[in-house]
Amino acid sequence: MSEPLLRVRDLRKEYDGVVAVDDASFELYGGEIVGLVGKNGAGKSTVIKALAGAISPDAGEVWLDGEPFAVTSPHHALDHGLAFMFQELELIPRMTVAENVMLGAHLPRRLGPFMSWRGMYEQAAQVLAELDDSIDPRGPVDALSVAQQRLVMIARALHRRARIVVLDEPTTSLTDREITDLHDICRRIRARGACVVYVSHRLGEIFSLTDRVIVMRDGHVVEQRATSELTHASLVDVITGGGIAAAREVGRRVTTPAPPADAEPLMRVRDLVRDGVVGPVSFDLRPGEVLGIGGLVGAGRTELLRLLYGADRSSGGSVEVRGRPVALRGPSQAMSAGIALLPEDRRHQGLILDFGVRENTTLASLGRFGSAVPGFPSRTRERAATDELIERLDVVTRDRDQPVRLLSGGNQQKVVIAKWLARDSDVLVFDEPTAGIDIGAKTQIYGIIESLSAAGKAVIVVSSEFNELVSICHRVLVLREGAHVGTLNGAEISEEAIVARCYGDASASV
Amino acid sequence: MAAEATQSVPPETPTARRSRRPASVYGLVGRYGVLAALVITFVVFCLLRPETFPTGDNLKTLLAQMAPVAIVAFGLTVVLVMGDFDLSIVGIIGLSSAVIVSLMSKSDVAWPLALIIGVLLAIAMGVLNGGLIAGIGASSFIITLAAGQVFSGVELEITGGQTIFDNIPTAFLNIATTNILGLSSAVWIMVAVFVIIYLLLNLTQLGRYMYAIGGNQEAARLSGISVKRIRTLGFIITALCSMVAAVILSSRAGAYSNEIGTSFFLPTYAAVFLGAAVLKPGTFNLGGTLIGALFLEVISNGLTLMSLSNAVVLIVQGAILAGAVLLATLQRRAA
Repeated sequence: MSEPLLRVRDLRKEYDGVVAVDDASFELYGGEIVGLVGKNGAGKSTVIKALAGAISPDAGEVWLDGEPFAVTSPHHALDHGLAFMFQELELIPRMTVAENVMLGAHLPRRLGPFMSWRGMYEQAAQVLAELDDSIDPRGPVDALSVAQQRLVMIARALHRRARIVVLDEPTTSLTDREITDLHDICRRIRARGACVVYVSHRLGEIFSLTDRVIVMRDGHVVEQRATSELTHASLVDVITGGGIAAAREVGRRVTTPAPPADAEPLMRVRDLVRDGVVGPVSFDLRPGEVLGIGGLVGAGRTELLRLLYGADRSSGGSVEVRGRPVALRGPSQAMSAGIALLPEDRRHQGLILDFGVRENTTLASLGRFGSAVPGFPSRTRERAATDELIERLDVVTRDRDQPVRLLSGGNQQKVVIAKWLARDSDVLVFDEPTAGIDIGAKTQIYGIIESLSAAGKAVIVVSSEFNELVSICHRVLVLREGAHVGTLNGAEISEEAIVARCYGDASASV
Repeated sequence: MAAEATQSVPPETPTARRSRRPASVYGLVGRYGVLAALVITFVVFCLLRPETFPTGDNLKTLLAQMAPVAIVAFGLTVVLVMGDFDLSIVGIIGLSSAVIVSLMSKSDVAWPLALIIGVLLAIAMGVLNGGLIAGIGASSFIITLAAGQVFSGVELEITGGQTIFDNIPTAFLNIATTNILGLSSAVWIMVAVFVIIYLLLNLTQLGRYMYAIGGNQEAARLSGISVKRIRTLGFIITALCSMVAAVILSSRAGAYSNEIGTSFFLPTYAAVFLGAAVLKPGTFNLGGTLIGALFLEVISNGLTLMSLSNAVVLIVQGAILAGAVLLATLQRRAA
C-alpha cells in the first residue's frame, strides 16, 4: 500500500487519572473506508476527539502526509482536510442550507467586502448535486429531514475538500433507504481518493461497507485487519475480548414461551389514535408477552408509545389495564396504571444527568420510600433498593451516588430500567432500548426483557434493528405511515416479513 | 467562530475503569473558595477596624441587617434550582409592604389580619407568575420582569408614592425588633425560613423533584412529576419569602416608603450565585446561599465602618456577583 495519509503513534489520554486511550497506533490511507468499532468506553470517541483537536492528548504523535502534525482546534483540523461528523447535528437551524455548507469557509466576495450570495448558492449547489439534488441551497436547513441535514454536514466537508471524513454513528435514526444512500456517498468519497472513517455499533454495515476495520478495546487498538479477513463471530470476539458469548445477538430466539392465546389480557388497546400522526391501533397484551413494534423512522412507532404512556394526548380510543380504563391525561395516570416508558432519548428524556444512580433510580417511586415523616423519603431504604437493582441489572458504576452523566450508554439505559423496576411496573414500554449501546450491554438488556417476561410482565419494544425484534418478540405489530399494516406471530416473524410490511407489498422485495 | 461554538462531542466516558477521583487542589478551592474568601475578608476587617468591626454589637447588627436579604435569597434559590428566574421580587416586597402598612394605618385593620392578607396577596402574586410561566409556558425572565413592573404600579396607585408611618400598632413594630436570646427577632425569622427551606430542598420528596425539574424538565415530567404545579409552588415560595422580608423591613422602619426593597435586586441574586460556587459547586444550594448572603453583608458592613461611601459598596457587590458567576461557570466546565 502507498504512504499513509495519516499516521498515529502511541496516542495516550487520561481523564482524572483514568486511562481512556493508551498506546493507540494506526494508519489511515487514501481511498479506503475504515470501520472503527469497539464497545462504549473503548476509547473510540477519545481518539476521534484528539484528531479533531477537541481535546489535547497527553502523549503520542500524529503525521499527516508524512509531516508531523499537531491539531490545535476543530477549525485547524478542517483547514488541513480533516472533517468530523458527530452524532449531534452541527448546523445553525435558521440559516439557509448554503450558509451551513459554507460555514467556516472563505465566502465568495463581490464589490470588496460584501459576500456574494449568488456565489454561495452556486458553490453549495455544486457540492450538494453530488449528494442529493433535491436539497435546495436557498432553503432553511431546519426544513430538511435528519438524513438530509447529515448530508448538508457531509457537503460542508466535501466543499472544504476534506481528505479524511470521520462519521460517528451516522446512521442513527435514518431509514434503510437513507442508509443505503449514505453508504453510496461514502463509496463516492472513497473514489475521490479520500479516507472515510466509519464509527458504528451495527456490525452489518461494517461488513457491507468497510474495507478495513480498526477495533478498540479498553483504550487499546487491538486489531487492524481487512474486513474480508473477518467473520461476524470473530469480530464480535475481538470487540468483547471473547468474554461474552454475544454472538447470540443475531441467532438467538425467544426463550420464554408465548403466553396462551386465551390468557386474560393485561392491557387492552382499542382504536388508539392521534389524528394525522398514528392509529387507529388496537391490540391486546397478555402477561409475559413481548410485543415488538416494527416500522420505518417516521412510521409513528415512538408516537404510539408516547400515546400509551400519556406523554402526548390521544385524539381517540381507549386503553385498559387489568380491565380498568386508564385516562391517559399525563404520565402520572399511566404510571398509576402500571405503565412505564423507557424513552427514545435516554439522556434528554430518561435521566437527570447530574443526579446520581440512586436519585435516578428512585425518582419515579420516591413516595414508596417513606420514613416516619410523610414527604421525607428514607435514604436508608432508597440505598437498599438501589443497591439491589444495581446488583440485579449489573449496572457498572463507581458507587450508587455517581452522577449518571459519567456512566456509559448501556449502564445509563439500565438505570432508566431500574427506575421502572423500582416501581414494579406491569407494562414496560421500551423505545429503542439498545440504540447506541455496546454488544455486551445489549445482550444484558435482552436478558432483562426476558426475565421481565418470565415474571409475568408485559413488554412493548420499538427497535429499528429488526433482527432484534425477531430475536426477542412473541409478536410484532408493523406500522407504516402511522397505520397499523400487519401483525406477525411467533414463527411468522422474520426480518424479511417485517421489511416487506414496512414498505408495503409493492416493494416487498427491498 | 460559529462552527466551533456548535462543535460538540458525545461523551464516552470510561466509567467501568474509573477509579475514585483524588481530591484535587482545584476541587478544594472550588468547594471552599468562597468560604475562604469570607474568612479572609472577615479577618482583614478585624485587623483594619479592631475597635468597631469584631464587636458583639456590630456582629448582631450585621446579622439583623442581612436577614431580609437572606430570606429573599432563600426563596430565590428555590426557583433557580428549577431553572426559573423571579425578577419580580422588588415589586412583591413593595406591594406587600404597601398593602400591609396601609391596611393597619389607614383602615385600622388588626395587625394579624393585615399579615394574613399579606400572605394571601403573596400567594396570589406567586400563582400569577407561576401560572403564566409554568402553566402557559412563557419565559420566566420576561414574565416576572413585567409582573414586577405591574406590582410596583399597583403599589404606587395604593400609596401615591407617599411614606406611611402613622397609626402603626406597636405589636407590628416589635415583629422585627424584639430581642430574643440576645439576637434580633429578624435573625430568628431568618433562621426559621432557612431551616424550613433547607429541609424542603434537601430532605423531602418535593425538594428532590425540584432538583429533578432543574436537571431535566422533560425527564422529570416523564417520570410522573407534576412539573407545572411544582414550578408554580416555587414562585409562591419566593413571593412568600419576599413578603416576609417586606414585613421585617416595614416593622423595623415603622413605616412604608416607596424605596422599600428597591436595593434588593443585586444582593439577593449575588448571594444565590455566590452560593452556587460553594459547597456543591455548580448547583444552587441553600447552605451556599446563606454563605453568599453573609459574605456580602460582611463586605458591606466592613466597608461602611471604614467610612467608604455607599457607591463603593455597590461597585464591590456588583464585581463580586460577576466574579461568582465566573467562578461557578469555570467549576461547571471543570466538573
